[in-house]
Amino acid sequence: MESQKIKLGIPKGSLQEYTLKVFKSAGFDIDVPERGYFLKIDDPEIECFLLRPQEIPKYVEKGKLDLGISGDDWIFESKAKVIEVCDLKYAKQKIKEVRWVLAVPQDSKIKSIKNLKGKIISTEAINLVKDYLKKNKVKARVEFSWGTTEVKPPRFADAIVDVTETGASLRAHNLKILDTVFLSSTKLITNKAAWQDEWKREKIKDISLLLQGAVRGEEVVNLMMHIPGEKLNKILKILPKLKVPTIRKLASENWYDVTIGCEAKSVRELIPKLKRMGCQGIVEFPVSKIVS
Amino acid sequence: MSKENELKFGFPIGAWQKDSLELFGAAGYDINFDENFQKIEIDDPEIECILIRPVAMVSFIEKGFLDAGISTEASVLEAQAKIVQICNLEFLKPVPSKTKIVIAVPKDSAIKSIKDLDGKKIVTRVPNIARRFLEKNMVPAEIIYSDALNEPLAGVVADAIIEFSRTGNYLKAYNLRIIETIFESSVILIANEKVLKNKWKKEKIESLGYLLKGARLAQEYAGLMLHASNEMMEVVLKVLPSLKKPTVTHLRGENWFDVLTVADKKEIRNIIPKLKKIGCTDIVEFPLNKVVL
Repeated sequence: MESQKIKLGIPKGSLQEYTLKVFKSAGFDIDVPERGYFLKIDDPEIECFLLRPQEIPKYVEKGKLDLGISGDDWIFESKAKVIEVCDLKYAKQKIKEVRWVLAVPQDSKIKSIKNLKGKIISTEAINLVKDYLKKNKVKARVEFSWGTTEVKPPRFADAIVDVTETGASLRAHNLKILDTVFLSSTKLITNKAAWQDEWKREKIKDISLLLQGAVRGEEVVNLMMHIPGEKLNKILKILPKLKVPTIRKLASENWYDVTIGCEAKSVRELIPKLKRMGCQGIVEFPVSKIVS
Repeated sequence: MSKENELKFGFPIGAWQKDSLELFGAAGYDINFDENFQKIEIDDPEIECILIRPVAMVSFIEKGFLDAGISTEASVLEAQAKIVQICNLEFLKPVPSKTKIVIAVPKDSAIKSIKDLDGKKIVTRVPNIARRFLEKNMVPAEIIYSDALNEPLAGVVADAIIEFSRTGNYLKAYNLRIIETIFESSVILIANEKVLKNKWKKEKIESLGYLLKGARLAQEYAGLMLHASNEMMEVVLKVLPSLKKPTVTHLRGENWFDVLTVADKKEIRNIIPKLKKIGCTDIVEFPLNKVVL
């Protein structure tokens, strides 16, 4: 019998680098050849393919892939029927969600969604925009854009719906944001057939657990500190309650070593506070995975 | 106009810009340099970053136009400004060579020592430092200010240059020889003296100092974990650096202890073989994000 394999789609493009990073923290090394789309992964039970995130949902739906990573935006856009295994809560390293916005030229007469009636909207995500217009009961022409959408208004389109991070590119093209059309985060998706196969389901669940652990690990750090005995209770009260702190008395001294897990974001408030309260030897170190 | 709870923070343009961005990232900030608009975006609404040359920054901080910033010791010396140093970030990265200010001349120049500079032309981007150094050594020379790449000018429009040198690569590339090192300069976090009287600003600047310095030290330190038996403990504690009190925990039901500490990475490479020889087991070194001692 041929050994079983999970066929996995890895998104090429903006999600690629971070996806590979999360897989690495999860314990999978994926090697991307210079010019090739057949990825090598150090797990003989997985076969990897590098594909555009726009296409991954369809391939998962059709069973060409058992498992894939893509955004809500492309899952919606492709109308693929897939099973969401878990939310990976990342879009790019720093930004949790991809934001699709409706933008028009700074001096446009279009001031609200209602003014879009009969206008041309250029976008890479046609279905997303059609759905948005339908919800807002506005009829407009939606035209597919192959890219560089932000250069199209006012000559080639009246408005656009495009992805933005900081808004810098929109500003540079003299566009202003009118509304947020869609917020998308990254999903691990599979199909019914794979989910009903016992071996595949277990394997997918394991991968999902490790990936979520790795994503969570990115958000959490460990903090280790020495606290003088007389201040222990006071300081324990202000420590975050992510998990129960490990408290150890230092040999032959009235000092305690306390180790806690806490949100990486909270550390920049916490460390100065602890320092001022009399903690010493404060050390922060990274966590690779958290599985609770 | 300065807002109540906002720090106007000088961010160095030039040689230290990239390393400073990285250090802020390591300190826990999402910070981004927008190249199109030459603007720094930081995910802390209480800090407004203003990109500025380190020397100009020092004067702006002295005058109170900016509250604090990352500059260099050389800039403070050059601007002769009265500011408060919050902490020394050294060279932003554990580099083998420090940033120096040197006097350099073409390799085949007849100038061998400072005395030979008498009556010569010197191009420099730090005219005040240069002038004071020459006055101290009683060598009259003509000082010409230029803040572009000065290495190509030596031997062409000037007899010597007084310039920064981090690696010495530029000097080598332009066939120059160092005749004197006049200053070694660290990167420092500085603040305006009066601003520190404002409680909120003082705390904000100090906190920034803890985090930046903590991230900076974590580049040089690592965590060290090991198991040692009761008999080994005395020797082990002597081998470990005294930087931080080690945490010693008794292993359940055994005559062994778990020891946890942090140490300089360069020391660790000497410590680990020693610990191994003593008989320690399960020695693990792990990376750190921040060290605030």
